Amino acid sequence: MSLELINNPILVTLQDKGRYGYSSIGVTNSGVMDEYAYFWANKMLGNSLGTNILEIAFSNVIFKVNAATKIALTGAKCEFFINDISKECWQTHNVKAGDIIKIAKILEGNRVYLGVFGGFDIKKEFGSNSTTIKENLGGLDGTKLKKADILPFKEYISHHNSRLKKEFIPSYCDELTLRVVLGYQDENFSQVEKNKFFSNIFTLSNDFNRMGCKLNGEPILCDIDGIISEGISFGAIQIPSDGQPIILLKDRQTIGGYPKIGSVLSIDCFKLSQAKTNCKIKFKEISLNEALKEVKEFYSFFS
Amino acid sequence: MLFKIASVDSLIIYFGKSIDEQIALNVKKAYLCLKKLDIEGIIEIIPSYTSIFISYDIFKFDFESLKELLENSINLESNESFEEKIISIDVYYGQEVALDLLDMSLKTNLSIEEIIEIHSSKLYDVYAIGFLPGFAYLASVDERIALPRLSTPRKQIPKGSLAIANTQTAIYPQSSPGGWNIIGRTTMELFDKKLEKLSPLSVGDKVKFNPISKEVFLSQGGSL
Repeated sequence: MSLELINNPILVTLQDKGRYGYSSIGVTNSGVMDEYAYFWANKMLGNSLGTNILEIAFSNVIFKVNAATKIALTGAKCEFFINDISKECWQTHNVKAGDIIKIAKILEGNRVYLGVFGGFDIKKEFGSNSTTIKENLGGLDGTKLKKADILPFKEYISHHNSRLKKEFIPSYCDELTLRVVLGYQDENFSQVEKNKFFSNIFTLSNDFNRMGCKLNGEPILCDIDGIISEGISFGAIQIPSDGQPIILLKDRQTIGGYPKIGSVLSIDCFKLSQAKTNCKIKFKEISLNEALKEVKEFYSFFS
Repeated sequence: MLFKIASVDSLIIYFGKSIDEQIALNVKKAYLCLKKLDIEGIIEIIPSYTSIFISYDIFKFDFESLKELLENSINLESNESFEEKIISIDVYYGQEVALDLLDMSLKTNLSIEEIIEIHSSKLYDVYAIGFLPGFAYLASVDERIALPRLSTPRKQIPKGSLAIANTQTAIYPQSSPGGWNIIGRTTMELFDKKLEKLSPLSVGDKVKFNPISKEVFLSQGGSL
């Protein structure tokens, strides 16, 4: 009763909501990069929202199904086949022993999420299944999945499926506005630099992984070169001395010494995680109260 | 204590602006106090040299309400004594593993024995843990042996390497690239999945290095 990986994919990891309570000793939170796609997959499957899932970051992944279950595929738009028959994303599908699931080409976005009914039956490590490769924690053995890996689940025979209404399916375009709450060292950026930061257009570089991403644009200058290392939030925007912003994401280091102008809203980081290299990025300031309202709305919707 | 917004669901408290023993002591007091209070709705606490970062459940707190609670519950004036935890770490300072000791000796005009004596006679404070899981920043190293990072970092530093960068000293909990001066090696696990707390060290602890012979190092399972 399992999914078996048939080929060696570039980057498939087991993830969930993340690992909390160990940041003080340098263990990052980890977890799915796109919680929007993750929550929908679990919601459509009728799973509890923290159920584990596969995060597929590059094209061409093939699984063999060894028992009946229901799967859901969300996130990046991709060519997706069950037994060579093209299927739709953002809905659930019933599969049975012997079926072959193939995620061929990722067409739009970066990360595909593949969940099964009830989740994969894999022991958590320090409260989470999330794989952090640099820490060798989570997943099957602390690293990405490889050919012949077995992901066990409880057999489930399903007779119906769910499909997400079109209005909820995101499109991943090449322009993105990220809302920012000012904070940390924001007072070390002059008004001129802040204006520049909030009016200029940046482009997403290919320096982009689960730790974070670097943007390119007209440099943003800070009054100070570095700071005494301090705790880093999800979405924190570091401005190193070259003036090119770095947004820190799920596998970020826990402490760091670059000045930070503030943090991108978590719910906007989920959209960012699906953005492609050269995507045009704009920052928009948002008050803490407004931000709180937006983020609460997101999590209330899914709870 | 200066409170700043870090993100929609986190804040940071600053206790000062420099790496300083008194500031670190306040960080430690506040950190121990927070751990003791165990406030429901606080998700992560990351203490560092001059600050404590806190992320929280936005359905339980907002910036203002948490700030108020913390201002009323963290008492830096209290003289309540806390248990001083001193962790002793066995280190082999032999040249097979102390890749930079000879070089340091030339740069500092101190003999290798003197460098080892200076390094191992001090009690260090754990100021922060990060960079890698279990990588503890310890300070302060005696100025006489406080050498800057190598101009070209090494691609691979062996696990357990004891290192110096300026006035800080640390152990690499796993093999990793890095630019610190390597002066010895330990077999102690600094990030150990078998430990309930994952790491034997936590911010506020004190560390003492205990020089051991090659024979003892090898008998502890050390490799050269």
